[in-house]
Amino acid sequence: MSKKLSRRDFLKLSCAAAAAGMVLVGCGPASRYVTRVPYAEMPEYQHIGKSTYYATTCRECPAGCGLIVRTFEGRAIKVEGNPNHPVNRGKICPRGLTSVQGVYNLDRITGPVMQGRRGKAGGQAISWDEAVALVKKRFQETKGSEIAFLLGAMPDSLYDLTSELASALKAPAPVRYSALNYLEGRDVWLAVASQYFGTPSFPYFDLENAEIVFNFGAEFLENWLSPMAYSRGYRGFRKGQLGARGYMVSFAPRQSISAAAADEWIPIKPGSEALVALALTRLAAYARSEFSPEITRQVDIKAAAEASGISEEKLKELASRFAGSNRPLAIGGGSALAGKSAFETASAILALNATVYNFNQTGGVFLTPAKAPSERFADVQALFEKMRSGAVKTLFIHGVNPLFDLPAALNAAEAFKRVETIVSFSSFPDETALASDYILPDHTMLEGWGYQTVLAGTTRKIVSAIQPVVVPLYDTRSTADVLIAAGGLPYKDEVDFLQQKILPLMSAGGTFTAPELPSFWAKFLQYGGWWQKSADYAAIDADALLKSSISMPEPHPAPADQYHLVVYPTQFGDGSGANRPWLHETPNPATTVMWNSWVEIHPQTAKKLGIHDDDVVRIRSEFGEIEAVAYLYPALRPDTVALPFGLGHEALGRFAEGRGCNPARLFPNASSQNGNLAWADTLVSLSPTGKRRPIARQESRHGVYGDGE
Amino acid sequence: MQRKKPWWQNAGLRIGIALVMLVLLGGAATGVVITQKAPQQPIEFPHNFHVGTGIPCAYCHSGAETGPVAGLPSIETCWGCHQQLRTNTPRLAKLAEYGSTNTPIPWVPVFIQPDFVHFNHRPHVAAGLECKTCHGDTAGQTVAEPIPGQNMGWCLDCHYKMAPENFTRLSDCATCHY
Amino acid sequence: MSEKVEAKKWGMVVDLDLCTGCQACVTACAMENNIPYTGEDETAYGRGLHWIRIQRYWKGEYPEVSPTHQPVMCQQCGHAPCEPVCPVYASVHSEEEQINVQVYNRCVGTRYCANNCPYISRTFNWFDYPHPVPESYSLNPDVTVRRRGVMEKCTFCVQRIRHAVDTAQAEGREIEDGEVMTACQQACPTGAIIFGDLSKKESAVSQAARSQRSFRLLEELGTEPKVVYLKGGGNYGG
Repeated sequence: MSKKLSRRDFLKLSCAAAAAGMVLVGCGPASRYVTRVPYAEMPEYQHIGKSTYYATTCRECPAGCGLIVRTFEGRAIKVEGNPNHPVNRGKICPRGLTSVQGVYNLDRITGPVMQGRRGKAGGQAISWDEAVALVKKRFQETKGSEIAFLLGAMPDSLYDLTSELASALKAPAPVRYSALNYLEGRDVWLAVASQYFGTPSFPYFDLENAEIVFNFGAEFLENWLSPMAYSRGYRGFRKGQLGARGYMVSFAPRQSISAAAADEWIPIKPGSEALVALALTRLAAYARSEFSPEITRQVDIKAAAEASGISEEKLKELASRFAGSNRPLAIGGGSALAGKSAFETASAILALNATVYNFNQTGGVFLTPAKAPSERFADVQALFEKMRSGAVKTLFIHGVNPLFDLPAALNAAEAFKRVETIVSFSSFPDETALASDYILPDHTMLEGWGYQTVLAGTTRKIVSAIQPVVVPLYDTRSTADVLIAAGGLPYKDEVDFLQQKILPLMSAGGTFTAPELPSFWAKFLQYGGWWQKSADYAAIDADALLKSSISMPEPHPAPADQYHLVVYPTQFGDGSGANRPWLHETPNPATTVMWNSWVEIHPQTAKKLGIHDDDVVRIRSEFGEIEAVAYLYPALRPDTVALPFGLGHEALGRFAEGRGCNPARLFPNASSQNGNLAWADTLVSLSPTGKRRPIARQESRHGVYGDGE
Repeated sequence: MQRKKPWWQNAGLRIGIALVMLVLLGGAATGVVITQKAPQQPIEFPHNFHVGTGIPCAYCHSGAETGPVAGLPSIETCWGCHQQLRTNTPRLAKLAEYGSTNTPIPWVPVFIQPDFVHFNHRPHVAAGLECKTCHGDTAGQTVAEPIPGQNMGWCLDCHYKMAPENFTRLSDCATCHY
Repeated sequence: MSEKVEAKKWGMVVDLDLCTGCQACVTACAMENNIPYTGEDETAYGRGLHWIRIQRYWKGEYPEVSPTHQPVMCQQCGHAPCEPVCPVYASVHSEEEQINVQVYNRCVGTRYCANNCPYISRTFNWFDYPHPVPESYSLNPDVTVRRRGVMEKCTFCVQRIRHAVDTAQAEGREIEDGEVMTACQQACPTGAIIFGDLSKKESAVSQAARSQRSFRLLEELGTEPKVVYLKGGGNYGG
């Protein structure tokens, strides 16, 4: 018999299918009755069917951008930039945008937990009363000198509070760091400013009004100092508000988005940035018919040309162009400020600015008014050394993940074992939280109070307000409240502390003031912070800088089978963004890779080593090794490989765990003389593993598996 | 030789399928009918009485004039009047229970649109439409009753009749679907 | 009924000289428009649901190599190739906003429109992508959550247009230039995206569109896109 259906049977079957379809359709409307639960007491700021907007401040990186968060019926819907905020003027980066996925993350810690065993997820839920009692007990029973606070990306208010608490307990001052510090050269700028200008403040580079910019590795569009402020600066620079469209030259071994935005990219040899900046300083002074400053005495133009791979003629041409411009500016960051000679490089970059007299000038260099807390890696090292010696009994950790972002060579996990009690205030189950004894989760950024002192990207004093836009989703508690209650500080609660701290601002001449505190506080929250009407910077003097003598950094060319290492932060920031699905789904700007990390290798190098796109490559340094998928990146020096930072977590929830690789495993446990983590001198070797793992990238719409749409 | 019947001509199977279809179709029909009936509410709210005493609709459904949704009253709204009034009927006793414990009443909305329809009350109220044009004569109802067949054709019919000069705009897909 | 409201011709200008390719627009679009994430495998198959993407192409050879960045979203063509091929009229032209609208409830998922779109700006829901609680709390109530088998694309943030038009009408005034901001424009750190009414001569967007640097994508196809690009950043037309 035939297997074919007759026409008649086909029609019958179609009828049956149609009927079944009807049934399904019929069930649709039947399920449409839902219950709606109106507010029991509708808040007066709420209006039926309308969104409510709150001003607050972003805490994803230290920049302190102002946010306006749209809430609807008590839920945070969308994060937008605060158009009046002087740092970002309404603009916002991917990490800030996805902060709603931080609040509503699927892997949050829902309440205080006593870990059964360190390093293992799960544990016993405790009440907040027990938690506070426990912290109190640790404060009372541990000697002040044996308490330590390790802090990171947190509201500055909490840092100030912890500092107060530490001095009340006679404990050492809290140690604060973030991976962005040593990846972007933040700590180096602070060291340089303290040395030459006597204040630990970040310089502000007036990119907006500059005419020609020399950029030594600063990724100002991505993560450097204050990315939104400098992106706006880039717009002004391109639009040429004071004249011609700006001209930018970028000196970097790898083309980042910022380097790609330049008009000219010079693939400088890693480690020769200081020499080039000094040579340019000297040549610029020469081009202006002036004496070359003291700081450039030792530099030899020929040697600099040789070390950097830039010809002498090119250096001269660049220098005379720089010297001849009305508003020249030199900036630096990234891997240029992350080696042993980072301090010298930053000094040389400042000297290049000073030699064209652009300090305190439009389109030049200013000093940000706010004093920044120390972020030296050497302090972190010292703390871990102290832990290792057993001199730390109780460790409090907030806003930072040392088991992930510190060099593996530091062996933080080993040091943790010598600490009796570790208390983590993390909102997410990251590596460090799991390795602690107690997790007392803080609110996430859209649920908590605070203020953020804006440290970079401005010439005004700005104190940016953080207020909750939604009620806490889970049984979390503000760390500030926990510390106030347990430490017996003279404040009623966190808000009381904040109000006392902003009290001096009432008479400090900002854009607004009020006769009494409650209305000042209300305005402070409404506007999203307090800031001065106009610039208020301390003039800086170039004398000390130009007359100083710095040791000449020695270039360290890579041997034939080894490669320089460039590690750069991506949209995941210090790695804490790795649990946000939409940050994974957002393609990397340079490679368009999603949901994974990769190692960038120049096509020539890859050919030499027999590596193809999507091959898994083993990267080995003196201090560790990792495996990553090869991405043949054309805009990179052949003697350099580049790795994105932020992925490679062993914990932190379903979206982060086991995804990508962590370059911190390759870093040395070495700090330079001025205390920054010197990772940029690391040399690595590459070897193919023979494995292949296609990674998702947007650049090919045909998909890497070959059969996509 | 008897030809073996193909499996789909098996009488038992056919009866079985017919029964299953009957049940499913019956279920579907019931589903359709149910949606045209007023749903069970937590409190049998007497619209007729409240509208009869002259309370404007917007007193409880206050969002209609200013926003997309009219909203359902919170316990505050009910309790504002009713704590002054008697609670001797079973319905009021229920309300008193919600009111005294300050729990929201889980109302079941009657006039709801699917997710892909974005209806906006404000322009309709601004155009001078009365509530009863779309919601029926609530003065004669206890709990609100749905209007059968209130679909897109129903909307467009009215848009065409009321404003033929604006019909291009009012029949635009993006007016409601986005 | 109220008096006849004049039709707007919404349009967008993207200044490629200012675009740095930072991807803020991509994330902003996803956050505004309830775009689900699809995961590593799906994005690798090219099934990511980005309504806007940054086209990054390399130009030149090392060391003179540099990338060009071009944000590409639905070009809201005046003569849209996606419209005539839809068998169920799910891809239609809006007379009011002068954009292409995708009517999700009509769409049956033939994907003819995506195949006929020269800008590859349409994305298809191959699966029902989950919105688990509490992640779903941040869904935008003004935008439909699409289900499996439905085509979707950039809408020029029509929910924001509708909201602004409705507000202006209720307040009895004309809609102002700059009152409607698309999510990508709002986020763009360098302000490379301008949005507004192209039919008004004095609006910021139509002033920018008249720039000598302006070009449209695949202009020769006669699709009359409403998105105008300004040459720069290594992108010089075509």
